[in-house]
Amino acid sequence: MTARARTDAAAIWAIAGIAALCIAAMAGVYAFVFARGAAAFWPAPIAEIRLRDGALLLGEVVADSGDALVLRLDEAERRGASYRRVAHADILGRDEPVDAVAALEQDGRRRYWRGDAAPPDAAAADFVESIRPNALSLPTRIAVAARRALRFMTDGSVATGGVLPAIAGTLTLVALMTLVVVPLGVATAGFVHLRRGRGAALVRAAVNTLAGVPSIVYGVIGLGLLVHGFGRSIDQWFHAGRLPLPTFGGGGLAWAALTLALLTLPVFVVSVDLGLSRLPRRLEQASLALGATREQTLRMLLLPAAWPAVLTGLILAIARACGAVAPLMLVGVVELAPSLPLDGEFPYLHPSRQFMHLGYAVYDSALASADMHRGVPRAYACAALLIAIVLVLNLAAMMLRERLRLRYRALEG
Amino acid sequence: MAGRRAGDRCLGWLTCGAAVVVLGCLLLIPLWLVVTLLSSATMPVPDAARLGRLAADGLRATACALLVAVPLGFASAAFTAGFCAARLRGALRTLFELFAAVPTVVLGLVATASLAPWLAGHVATVLALLVALPCALLATGFAFGARLRNARWLALWLVPVVIAAAACALLVASLHGDTLVVPRSPWNAMLVGLALGLAVVPVVFSIAEEALALVPRNQVDAALALGATRWQAFASMVVPAAAGGLAAAAMLGFSRCFGETMIVLMAGGNTLHGGWDPTMGLRAPGAELALGLPDARIGSAAWEHLLLVALLLFAVTVAVQWAAVLVRSRLRRRHAGARA
Repeated sequence: MTARARTDAAAIWAIAGIAALCIAAMAGVYAFVFARGAAAFWPAPIAEIRLRDGALLLGEVVADSGDALVLRLDEAERRGASYRRVAHADILGRDEPVDAVAALEQDGRRRYWRGDAAPPDAAAADFVESIRPNALSLPTRIAVAARRALRFMTDGSVATGGVLPAIAGTLTLVALMTLVVVPLGVATAGFVHLRRGRGAALVRAAVNTLAGVPSIVYGVIGLGLLVHGFGRSIDQWFHAGRLPLPTFGGGGLAWAALTLALLTLPVFVVSVDLGLSRLPRRLEQASLALGATREQTLRMLLLPAAWPAVLTGLILAIARACGAVAPLMLVGVVELAPSLPLDGEFPYLHPSRQFMHLGYAVYDSALASADMHRGVPRAYACAALLIAIVLVLNLAAMMLRERLRLRYRALEG
Repeated sequence: MAGRRAGDRCLGWLTCGAAVVVLGCLLLIPLWLVVTLLSSATMPVPDAARLGRLAADGLRATACALLVAVPLGFASAAFTAGFCAARLRGALRTLFELFAAVPTVVLGLVATASLAPWLAGHVATVLALLVALPCALLATGFAFGARLRNARWLALWLVPVVIAAAACALLVASLHGDTLVVPRSPWNAMLVGLALGLAVVPVVFSIAEEALALVPRNQVDAALALGATRWQAFASMVVPAAAGGLAAAAMLGFSRCFGETMIVLMAGGNTLHGGWDPTMGLRAPGAELALGLPDARIGSAAWEHLLLVALLLFAVTVAVQWAAVLVRSRLRRRHAGARA
């Protein structure tokens, strides 16, 4: 065992260990967010706490800062109005009574009581949910959590914590963005491919540079140029009757979609360009030898052969758009939109309306919420949903790319 | 025939138009900012002091993040490109690529809601762990590593070891309490550095790994044939040959960190400070834009100040990025020559 072999092994162990640290940290972030997201739906036990002064408190323990507990008591009046901080030193006894009931009102208030009789001001029929969390078995607990998760995703009412408006806003935004990105991106990739040489190199460099521009700068351009520039002009020409109330002159869906289109264009173009340039050269040469023009070859042979690359690029662009929050904050995303951008009212799609976005819901619930003990779990639930969506989209893109690679190999073989 | 020609011409024009739009967009961003600033009625007097402090805060966050991202990214890339089994290499690249897609708002949430209160009481533990872990790994490798003939799957086996070591350290720290370093704000540059660094690790990794893997294999084989060990061949042949790519990786990491918004906005505390103390809060340029622009009146001094900040952000990130691309393409050309 020479000293040389030992120092070599030490160096390799060090870099392997740091790689292991990276793996652990990245997997840890995923696991942590999913765990906290799931915990937001888990039916928490209800504690009955007896204080030294004889008072009896029934509620949910939402935080423990080491020397004191924060309890959420029965919210008879309004949401977030009955938190109580109790020092550990003041607590005589803590119990989890089996007959304690936790209910959720339509307006999002949490009610707690013991026994069969609901409080007189609460009508049992109006509850969204009413359970006895301390008496639940593990399978029922899981069922309750699953039901809550489902309601979280399909409930349009923000009072009870639903994110359906945010999901709808994100989907509408992404769909509008796709309408801009796909034609523009395919044409750009086509240009790069048709005209090799200096022009193509310039466009490629421009695309790569655009990919590195900070996303907030796109937001600044969207706000300054699109909203304040174009939007105000449109208002003066077509919506003068409503001024000074802005129609397109304020942040809205259309401007946000355009901003995001600009932001995600590089991702899309790079993917399509890669797909086109990895196609076997023989295909193109055969087509040209048979008398087809370069444009015909592109349109009839190369683009159809590279369609998985187009799809891959689109998926990656959508994933990027779902996670882009900073530029949206400047061009019209709001925490609570009065109406959806897509509804049954003519003309069905309202591009000037403000909208909600899943990524922004994470930021807003975590930092701008008046009720931190509701906001942070909600933010984690939104974050878990968001990374699940992004993860699925990226995995799909990877699988498509792999399929494309196999297909090229078959073409070459 | 005529119809076909017309269709061709149409497609040609379409693609040209798209290319013009893309080039136009890139030119439009700085042009619009400059023209708006220059054409304002009251010639703006830039608030140089505030700009300087913003830049300093941005650089402080970036420096902290790079202190995390560059060692982690480079070491992972070195293992993956030089010593790793092919299947593990594919898996690692997939893992990093997937992590690169995690929205930064999620990392910001973890940092601000969960990491910040914990880190405020455990700064010394984290710093000690960051120093002790590589030392422990070096010592273990020195003592037992040479007996292990095959290190190709080592990174995977070490994952539970690293987790266990970290858990032990945290347990010991929680028993004794950690008041050695008390940050002046729970939302500080160290917190931003950890979150932002983790966000940028995939960028640094993928570029560094590509650069290291690009070094022609026959050079390494020649060194091995002449009697060098695998580590010697890697450290003395591959790393110098890929130095340009490694520099480009660090520069692109810098560009990403400096332009990032959500993490600095959520975890930075958003108070302008301007010094170099990593335990203080900060307000990076991205956060200044995100917080200030929604309320700034068009044409006001605040609006012009924010446009100037945007211009600064754009100029710095694009300049660093171009420099990185230049370094990288020079490297590629050299290796293309060496291969031929």
